[in-house]
Amino acid sequence: MREFDLLQPTDLSDALDALAANSPATRPLAGGTDMLVDLRSKRAQADVLVSLQNVPELHGITRDNGTLRIGAATTIAQFLRDPLLTQYDALRQAAFVFANPMIRNSATIAGNISSASPAGDMLPPLLALDAQIELTGKSETRTIPIHEFFLGPRKTARRPDELITAIKIPISSPQSTVSSSFYKLGLRQADAISLVSVAVWLQQDGDTIREVRIGLGAVAPRPVRATCAEEILRGQLYNETNLKEAARVASEECSPIDDLRASAKYRRRMIAVYLPRMVEQAWSKTL
Amino acid sequence: MSMQTKTIHVTLNGERREWHVYPNELLLNVLREHEFLTGTKYGCGIGECGACTVHVNGEPVLACLTLAIACENKTILSVEGLARNGKLDATQTAFLDQTAFQCGFCTPDMILMTRALLNEIPNPTEEQVRDYLRGNLCRCTGYASIVRAALEAAAIEQNAAGQ
Repeated sequence: MREFDLLQPTDLSDALDALAANSPATRPLAGGTDMLVDLRSKRAQADVLVSLQNVPELHGITRDNGTLRIGAATTIAQFLRDPLLTQYDALRQAAFVFANPMIRNSATIAGNISSASPAGDMLPPLLALDAQIELTGKSETRTIPIHEFFLGPRKTARRPDELITAIKIPISSPQSTVSSSFYKLGLRQADAISLVSVAVWLQQDGDTIREVRIGLGAVAPRPVRATCAEEILRGQLYNETNLKEAARVASEECSPIDDLRASAKYRRRMIAVYLPRMVEQAWSKTL
Repeated sequence: MSMQTKTIHVTLNGERREWHVYPNELLLNVLREHEFLTGTKYGCGIGECGACTVHVNGEPVLACLTLAIACENKTILSVEGLARNGKLDATQTAFLDQTAFQCGFCTPDMILMTRALLNEIPNPTEEQVRDYLRGNLCRCTGYASIVRAALEAAAIEQNAAGQ
């Protein structure tokens, strides 16, 4: 592996100083499960890595009024164990199929977000849950809605001298009328890059879908919201006609490619299959 | 640029060790080449086969994706550290009993992952076993004997606990 220096700051301020001093040849390093692969294959370059392992400000999951705040360095495994997160089915379902059990102990939520793979598994659920990304630099802290964060394949709105410090998710109430579901279609049980993935969050009001958000993965240059399909369902009766129409619209509004894992045509077809299934699954949990 | 080594201390298989490592050295290479503990294998090098599984601070991780320097002051367990004072761990006994290996390449990581499974879920179902081991690949056995061994290891420990 190419040579690099490794800095090991013990607080956020030192970590930000380290990033600012040498960027852009300086990269942050959390779990390293993506970064080390990229460094060894030379897809990524870094002269200096700033390890975030010992930065306490990036850890911890807390509840702050109507918002859940997830520290950026929370590992996928920690995420699965935390009692505050039990209600977020879509996120938990994604965490459960994430890579493999060993990687889950090292990989972080912010790392998955920062890597910004169009097929990143935590990303469609975060889109469906309308997460906010908190970015901190030396001079300011700002918050970006996640649907504005991904700019292209592996490109995000994070500046080189900024760190993702937290992910914030609104806590909706009442709980029983809100639910979410996620499905990842892959070619094997673990370590699979998604062919497609679908996350649905909805709010039920009697027979009607009062509010809905749909996140899609691996069918566009970045993880996306299926906003046209959402329009079909929002405020409408939950019935088969609307589900079928939403399925059709979602498969047309996404822009998958042919690659070695699947054809674009197959991906569109699978979106049309799994979107209504995830709406059904989420709906059935609200009753 | 010329990298500097850093001196760190770890606890490896119950022993305190002093390592002088470059920042870019992988835990996998330090174990195999500095410590001569070759039970942990280099399979794919990119975290997709599980052959390099070790325990760090009690949790299974992949040594090919872990920098040695990141293990400072941590506790590391490789397969060589499972048996205590010549007494085999229940997982090792069960794998022998079920002949849950052919070439043996995946056996260290299968055993370590079974150990992690039983630490977390002492009485797993077959489904839970298969799910927990899904990141550890075997090219020889078809997994059936490995699953039997994991379930037998659980039974051995449940019986021992009962007495």
